[in-house]
Amino acid sequence: MIKFGPGNLRIPRFERPVYLVAGGMTDFRKKYFEKNTSQLCTEALRMAVEENDLKVDAEEFRRMVNWCVYSQFADHFGDQLLAASKIHDYLGFDPLGNIEVKTGGATGGSSVLAAAQAVASGYASCVPIVGWERMDDVSTKVGNSYIASAACKDFESELGWMYAAYYALMAQRYQYENQVPHETLAKIACKNHEYAYYSPFSQNPGKYTVQDVLKNEIVSDPLTFLECCVMSVGSAVLIMCDEETAYKLSDTPIKLAAICGGTHTLRTADRRDMPILLLPNETEATYASFKGGRRREWPGFSSFLAARMAAYLAYNMAGIKDPVEDFDILETHDAFTISDIQTYEDIGLRPYGRGREFIESGECYFDGKLPTNLSGGLIGTMHAVGATGIFQIIEILWQMQGKYDKFHGNPEMWTRYGKKKPADWKSLQLKNPKRGCAISHAGTGSHVTCAILEKP
Amino acid sequence: MDWPTSCLEVIQEEPLTVKNPKTWHHTHSYGGWGKFFQGLRESKLLATRCTNPACGEKRLFLPPRCDCVDCWHPTEWVEAPQVGTIYTHSTVTYPGELFKLPPGTPLISIEIEGVCTKLMSWLKEGKPEFGMKVKAVFNTKNPTNTILDLAWVPA
Ligand SMILES: [Zn+2]
Repeated sequence: MIKFGPGNLRIPRFERPVYLVAGGMTDFRKKYFEKNTSQLCTEALRMAVEENDLKVDAEEFRRMVNWCVYSQFADHFGDQLLAASKIHDYLGFDPLGNIEVKTGGATGGSSVLAAAQAVASGYASCVPIVGWERMDDVSTKVGNSYIASAACKDFESELGWMYAAYYALMAQRYQYENQVPHETLAKIACKNHEYAYYSPFSQNPGKYTVQDVLKNEIVSDPLTFLECCVMSVGSAVLIMCDEETAYKLSDTPIKLAAICGGTHTLRTADRRDMPILLLPNETEATYASFKGGRRREWPGFSSFLAARMAAYLAYNMAGIKDPVEDFDILETHDAFTISDIQTYEDIGLRPYGRGREFIESGECYFDGKLPTNLSGGLIGTMHAVGATGIFQIIEILWQMQGKYDKFHGNPEMWTRYGKKKPADWKSLQLKNPKRGCAISHAGTGSHVTCAILEKP
Repeated sequence: MDWPTSCLEVIQEEPLTVKNPKTWHHTHSYGGWGKFFQGLRESKLLATRCTNPACGEKRLFLPPRCDCVDCWHPTEWVEAPQVGTIYTHSTVTYPGELFKLPPGTPLISIEIEGVCTKLMSWLKEGKPEFGMKVKAVFNTKNPTNTILDLAWVPA
């Protein structure tokens, strides 16, 4: 499917508005033997319901819920099929209906999409979205092998048993076509590790220099360890409602203006050339000299059609004309530094081939035009896969509700996770962000969702 | 009745953490793709092309597809050229469990004329470069019956 017919590019719409009211999460760790999965999910749900200034108590909230969405990437890791049923029971939601969503690394984003479809259609009015991943049952080496079984097992997994290698193949090609200095990629790693440093939830915080990243050990050339996401255990829970319920629960609900999904082949190898799908801030002229006029040579290994498709639909659904102008905050799926640059282009922050400018210009920093991954992202804070897309949206929600400091700056949040708030902690609370965007991403771009949050 | 004798090894007591062993195999049929892997044993690189005269695409696919992705009609087997160029490459330092290639083996993606995909494979000899011409070699003596039975060397 690469020749679009009129039905293929229909812009989705919600039949009624969808709101986000609260979020909660655990901290994220490489190993979390202290708690079983149902404990982690309960802890995240409790934070969402009890620590987000809701106007109802926990008991009243329980009586309002009418549908649940569960988000876990890999049954391999948890070694428990139908885990959602067990979590649903332990959270006390039986016999309400639920659904478990699975789309690899984008599972979190897809779960939010599934919940939005339920609320927007009128099927449900109050939906907890519960995500988690338990990646500490096996060694890192086996874990990487499990993750690589989310590549094509017949024709690709055997070649590396390592997702970083599949991304490295894209990275090398991107670099061959665009010659981005490794220093620029390293800056993304430094930024996200640093922002993770201000988060009590983070697994891999640190203040690194560009040199630290460049001298770091290589996983699969050119990617170093510090440029790759962490492997995490933890949970994240988001509460989604219709308008009436949202205002019953909260004085500061945030609107989910859009969430849309796109896909592309599981094997990067099978991505056939097509003309670039243009975003609202691009025209034919934008790509007049793309690859020397070869605009059809797209997406190749340098771009994610799934991300472009998701952004195309979501931008048109939410009336976004120019993402850098219209968004005040962004969370990308920074699984690897290189894929972050690719994503900048896919979602139209810069035209294809010029993604590096988004970081080099300073726009993506806390004090820049479009602060990106203030959460610390997947590189610095977490990638407990089923929780990831939910975690991103919670971090934006908190920012828009002015709650960054409440959840990141309170010393008690740090002691809760056995940590000490750093003496040089700084607040990353933005001044009144009005519109935010979160990108959830799977495979080497097999599924991508684009969510747009807006202050009502 | 006796208690079972196979006990789980205790990793730690607080909280109680045990080791769950897993030692079975999965039976996997390649189904319609089997011919591709059998072809590798005979030094054949088998791709597929749509047989529907009305199909607007009829591209040559490698990895093969039993049915055309553009019209859902059955495909037929066609031998692909055994020469190509390196589209991209990377050498994985820390592969995952089950990795069977020698350490330091370059992984490559190959562009082949007339083929609409960029097959992932590995370079058996030499140092990979973008655009480097390579030719296919096959593990015919002691095949693994996996995609690893195909590799490339400088042409
Ligand atoms: Zn066909």
